[in-house]
Amino acid sequence: MNASRARMIWSVVTWTIVLAVVFPLIWMIVTSVKPQSELFSIPPTLMPETITFEHYRRLLTDTPFLQYFRNSMILAVTTTVVVVVLGTLGAYSLVRFKYRGRETLATLVLFTYLMPSVVLVIPLYLMMAKLGLANTLASLVIAYTTFALPYALWLLRSFMSSIPVDLESAALVDGAGRMGAFVDVVLPQALPGIVSTALFTFILCWNEYLFALVLVNSDSVRPLTAGTMNMLITSFNIDWSLLMAASVMMSLPLIVIFTFLQGTLTKGFGAGAVKG
Amino acid sequence: MAEVVFEKVRKTFGSTVAVNDLDLTIDEGEFVSLLGPSGCGKTTTLRMLAGLEEPSGGTIRIGDRVVNSVPPAKRDIAMVFQSYALYPHMTVGKNIAYPLKKRGIREPERSERVMATARLLELETLLDRKPAQLSGGQQQRVALGRAMVREPQVFLLDEPLSNLDARLRAHMRAELIELHRRIGRTMIYVTHDQLEAMTMSTRIAVMNAGVLQQFATPADIFHRPANVFVAGFIGSPAMSLVEGELVGSGGGDGERRFRVHCGALDVALPAGLLNRSAAPGPISLGIRPEDILLGSGHHTAAVGVVERTGHESIVRLEAQGTPLIVRAPGDTPIESGETVRFSLRVERLHIFDSTTGLRLNADTKDS
Repeated sequence: MNASRARMIWSVVTWTIVLAVVFPLIWMIVTSVKPQSELFSIPPTLMPETITFEHYRRLLTDTPFLQYFRNSMILAVTTTVVVVVLGTLGAYSLVRFKYRGRETLATLVLFTYLMPSVVLVIPLYLMMAKLGLANTLASLVIAYTTFALPYALWLLRSFMSSIPVDLESAALVDGAGRMGAFVDVVLPQALPGIVSTALFTFILCWNEYLFALVLVNSDSVRPLTAGTMNMLITSFNIDWSLLMAASVMMSLPLIVIFTFLQGTLTKGFGAGAVKG
Repeated sequence: MAEVVFEKVRKTFGSTVAVNDLDLTIDEGEFVSLLGPSGCGKTTTLRMLAGLEEPSGGTIRIGDRVVNSVPPAKRDIAMVFQSYALYPHMTVGKNIAYPLKKRGIREPERSERVMATARLLELETLLDRKPAQLSGGQQQRVALGRAMVREPQVFLLDEPLSNLDARLRAHMRAELIELHRRIGRTMIYVTHDQLEAMTMSTRIAVMNAGVLQQFATPADIFHRPANVFVAGFIGSPAMSLVEGELVGSGGGDGERRFRVHCGALDVALPAGLLNRSAAPGPISLGIRPEDILLGSGHHTAAVGVVERTGHESIVRLEAQGTPLIVRAPGDTPIESGETVRFSLRVERLHIFDSTTGLRLNADTKDS
């Protein structure tokens, strides 16, 4: 087989996979701009005959969608900040400081991650109720932190351990204190790891459904997942147009974030200044 | 005053003793090498001086100040790491400026000093590059620049040349000697390369297994090694060390005379070669490769491998079971397998006590 034919076969295979992955997304977008009349037409139309933004207008004006969106944003951003700050400092401590039980601690952290979250929902709800936090965004921030932090710690730990100790030693000798060395040298080196951890945490919070369903029950604090579900999917009816419009809107922040952070995610890898 | 003093300094990691009761006084402006095989405690010693490791016992002083619990930033030292440890996310200019920035030196003085240092090290054109875009030699110069820019009292260098190729290393050796001459600061240099230590240092501290073996000038270390370890470690190729027996042969004039029996080698030592503590018994005889003269003499040996490097030939001899290494001129007409006669420069033999390992020659200096 010659090289160009092999390349062609590869192209066909990859594009097939790409199309298979992308199709539901395209279908979602297409459906969200179809008029109601065209939704269930047989045969289905791949390209809508008329394009309408009526569903988006209805979603934004007639439903609490914006309130949900705001809640989700607050929730995801707050949790991400908490998890990244705690995770970064914790991972640094696990890598750099020597203390009794360090390894045991790291392993225990992993164990908490292995616990299925569904087991924790009811106890957590009861705890939140006792603490007077039931039906607040804070209860969700705490709940999300419990399962995002262990993973963040492990992810960041492996990033931190790849940063040469010499860099910090150099900063200490050059006049920085412990914290100065951390900020000036460790953080910039760990940035790609911190960004991917932040991204992971954000997505986790943005898409979380189970805890959102159980821990809060009023529209003022419901995030997008539970809110949209509650509003558009009932036992009797699924409002497909609105659901698809909502899905598109929910995906937007993630797409925007990915586009901006792609550079940072890959930057830094393979750029070494330490030999040996 | 920036003399550096170690007093009974110890460092243990768990049950491992890395540095054992080190006593060392380095004078102001000296270039001292800490020399020894890997794991001998030399880097730990340097890191304790830098404040990166805390001593388990003893006192470290820089100038008049005990620095045991002073953080690295406040010790007025600069350090060049074996890995260079350049900050990968900063440009060359920012790397060199970092110690100044941390000490609150403002623009425009900061830039002026960075430029002056860069000019000295011929780095002016590289100031906007990132470390990853530089060659090994350039990275090394940036690391030096970052250490020099602050004009610290003491420079610490941890095997800074070990990542360079042989030619560049020779070049940088000369540069470092020149740099030391020009700035006149105390420099402490860790290396396992005796050539670097011998060529650059005013004094060398030879260490082994956490213990200081000898602290003396390069010439003393070479010509008057304090013990068997130093004798075997310094010199390339290494000194031949042969186990033997010291026997008295009683001079008639009241002077003590000794002979050495080492297998087939039987050598009469010149009067006054050994000190007063020398007594008949088991010893190690040390012979430098250049102190064996081939061609004539009453000893014979079989020639083993001959390594010719052009200007010299390294010849391995086997004198009735005793292996010896000889440095001979490059054009010596000698072939593997033949038998040669040789003589020893007996006044240059080194005699060590077999049990203590200490040198028994009369010219031994206390270190």
